[in-house]
Amino acid sequence: MALVVDHLQKRFGSVVALDGLTFEVAPGQVFGFLGANGAGKTTTMRITMGVLEADSGSVTWQGTESHRLPRSTFGYLPEERGLYPRMRVLDQLLFFAGLHGVPPDRARREALAWLRRFRAEDLIGRRAEQLSKGNQQKIQFVAAVLHEPPVLLMDEPFTGLDPVNVALLREAFLELRDRGRTVVFSTHQMEVAEALCESVAIVDRGRMVVGGPLREVRRSTGRRMVRISVADDHRLPWLAKVPGASVIQAGMDRTTVELEPGLEPDEVLAAAVGAGARVLHFEVADPSLEQVFIDHVGRPADEEIHLAPLAEGAA
Amino acid sequence: MTAAGRRNTWLVARREFTERTKSRAFLFSTLLLAGLAVVVALIPLGVRLADKATISRVAVTSTEPGLAVTAMGTMDSFLNAQTSAGTKGTKVFDFVEFPDEATAARAVRDGLLVAAMTIDRGGDGGLGFTVFNIGGLGADKAQLLQVGAFAVGVLDWTKSNPGATRPFVTPSFSVVDAGSSSAGVPGKPAFDAADYASRRIVGIVFVVLSFLTLVFYGLWVASGVVAEKSSRVMELLISAASVQQLVVGKILGIGLAGLTQVSLVLLPAIATMLASGRIGDALLGPDSGTGATLSALSPGLLAAFLVYFVLGFALYAALYAAAGSLLSREEDLQTVALPLSIPAVAGYFPAVLALSGSTSGLIRFASYVPLWSPFVMMSRLAVGRVEPWELVVSIGLLVLTVPLVTLAAIRVYRAGVVMYGQPPSPRTFWRAIRGG
Repeated sequence: MALVVDHLQKRFGSVVALDGLTFEVAPGQVFGFLGANGAGKTTTMRITMGVLEADSGSVTWQGTESHRLPRSTFGYLPEERGLYPRMRVLDQLLFFAGLHGVPPDRARREALAWLRRFRAEDLIGRRAEQLSKGNQQKIQFVAAVLHEPPVLLMDEPFTGLDPVNVALLREAFLELRDRGRTVVFSTHQMEVAEALCESVAIVDRGRMVVGGPLREVRRSTGRRMVRISVADDHRLPWLAKVPGASVIQAGMDRTTVELEPGLEPDEVLAAAVGAGARVLHFEVADPSLEQVFIDHVGRPADEEIHLAPLAEGAA
Repeated sequence: MTAAGRRNTWLVARREFTERTKSRAFLFSTLLLAGLAVVVALIPLGVRLADKATISRVAVTSTEPGLAVTAMGTMDSFLNAQTSAGTKGTKVFDFVEFPDEATAARAVRDGLLVAAMTIDRGGDGGLGFTVFNIGGLGADKAQLLQVGAFAVGVLDWTKSNPGATRPFVTPSFSVVDAGSSSAGVPGKPAFDAADYASRRIVGIVFVVLSFLTLVFYGLWVASGVVAEKSSRVMELLISAASVQQLVVGKILGIGLAGLTQVSLVLLPAIATMLASGRIGDALLGPDSGTGATLSALSPGLLAAFLVYFVLGFALYAALYAAAGSLLSREEDLQTVALPLSIPAVAGYFPAVLALSGSTSGLIRFASYVPLWSPFVMMSRLAVGRVEPWELVVSIGLLVLTVPLVTLAAIRVYRAGVVMYGQPPSPRTFWRAIRGG
C-alpha cells in the first residue's frame, strides 16, 4: 500500500496553492517531488504532517488518512529549519526522539551512530546556535529519522549542503530505502533527483504535470536524443549535413543531439563515421530531467517565478 | 490522556523547566529577588532600631489637678532612666504637659507630638491611661508607656493610701491609633496596631508577589511560544507532539520553574524574618512587637498563596500561551506585552484597596473573579476576615475556569500554529478555532 495524495486542494486567500494535486508513492521507494518554488511542495508536505489542513482531498498511507496515523509514522524535515537555539545537540535529539517514544539510551546510541556517519560526532555537546546552517540541517535530519519512521518526508533536504554532505545524505537515503523505508523528498535540483529516485512527480502551480517511474517521465516528452563524443573536433561540423538533427546541449566532452521524428540514431552515427570523425562515445539517450521539466513547465525549476503573491508566500 | 500523551507532556515540561532554570537570567533574577526579599524582611528590625533611637514627644493631660505632673515625673525617671543604661543616656520619651485632651490631640494630628496620653481616675480610684496616636507610636514604645503607666499607678496607690482602705487596682491602659482604618468605628474593636501593620506588610508582599510572578511567568510562556515559532522549531515540534501536549507541558514546566524561583526567593526572606525577631530580642530585649510581623504570616496564608499561585498561574499561562501562538516574531511580543497585562493590572487595584481593610462590594466581587482573585483574595486574606464560603466560591470558580481557558487556549494555539506562514486574517483564524 502506498502513500497516496488524492486531489488535494488548498487556497491561501486568493492564491491557489494546490489545485487537485494527485500522485502516488510506492512503498520502499525514493521518490522525488519536483517543482519550482511556489509549486506546492511544502504545502503538500505540511498537509501530510497535519501542520496545515487541506480545503479538500486527502493524503493516505496504507489506506489511513495521514492525520489519523500516529505522528511517529512520519519522519519530517521541514523546509523551515529550526532547532532550539540554546539547547545542546544531543539533548535536542533525545528530546525529539523521546516525543516519538524512543527510550533515551537507544536514542543516544542511534544518534551517535548517525552523527558519526555524517562526520559530525564532535557537534554533540554544542548548542544549536553555534552550528553552521549545513550542520544544523544534518542534526535535523537525524532528529527526523531517530524513531525509524516508515515514511520520511524531506523538504528540500539537499539545499544548502556542500557536495561532500550532499553525497553523505544521498547514501543515507539509499540506505534507508534498503531498510524498507519510503523516502519522499522535494527538490528543485533535477540532477539530484535523477541520481536518486525510482519515481518522481513534477508539479507546477499546485497541479501534477507528469509523474511515474523516472524512465517513463524522461520519455514522456517523446523527444529522442543521442549523446556523442568524438576525438579532436568537438564542434561536430558534419552534423549540419544531417537533416533533422540539432544540438541542444553542446559540450567539450559530450554533445547532446536531438533527433526529429523520422531520423534514426544510427543515421547520426553513420554521418559521423562518414565524415571521418573518431567516435569515442555514442549513446541513445533520454532527455535529462531538467529538459523534461523545462518542456513540461516552460521554464527551469530553479528560476524564480514571480507570480503575485507566491502560494507558499511567507514560507 | 494516554500514556504517550502523559510522557510527551512530561518531556515538554521537563525541557521547559531545564531551559528556564539553567539560564543565566534565572540565576541572576533569583539572586536579585532573594536579596531584595531579605532586605524587605529586615525592614521591621530596622524600624524597631530606628524607633528605639528617637525621642518621642508625648503630651500628658489629666482631669485631676497635679496628676499629670506627678505621672510625668514618675515615667520620666522610670522609662528614660531605665533605657539610658542601654542606649548611653539617650532619652526615649520627652513628656510635655498639656492643659486638655483636645489641644493635645490637635498637636498629635499636626505632627508636633507622637502621642497624647490622657489620665483619668475611675470610680474605684484606679487610674485609666488612654494613649492617642496616628500610627506614630511603635509597639515597643506603647509597651514601655504601659510599663510606665503601671509604675504611676503603683506610686499613686501607695502615696494616696498608706493603709489598705482601697485595694490596688491595675491601671487600665489602651492605645487608640487613628492611623488604622477601623479605629473610631463605633462598636468595632480596633485592630491591634502592630498586628494590623504586620497584616498590611504581609498583604502587600503577597499582592505584589502574585502580580509580578503571574505577569512575569506568563510572559515567559508567551515568549517561549513565540521563540519556538521564530526559531522555526515549531514545525518539528508539532510533527512530534500534539498541541495539547505542547501547551500543557509548557505551562507545567514554566510553572514549576516559577514556583522554584518563588520558593528560592521566599524561603531566605522568611528565615530572615524569623532570625531578625531573635536578633531584635537579643539587641533590644524581649518584645512581642517584632514577633507580630510574622504573626500575620500564618501557614494557612502561605498555603492559600500556593493555591492561588498555582491556579492563577495556570490561568494566566494559558492566556499568554494563546497570545504567543498568534505572534510570529519576538519583536511583536513587546507591543502586546502591555495590553496582555491589563487584566492583571485591573485586578491589582482592587487588591491594593482591599489592603486597607475595606470589604466594599467591588472588592468582594473582584475577589471571586478568577482573573483577579489570585491578587484580591490574597489581599483580603492577609488583612481581614474572609468567610469560609467566600474562599470556597473564589477557589471553586478558579478551579472551574482553568480547564476551560486551557481548552480554549489549545484551540487558539492550534489555529495560531496552523496559520503557519499565513497573515492572520480574523476570518481564517475564527474558522481554525471553531474547526479545532
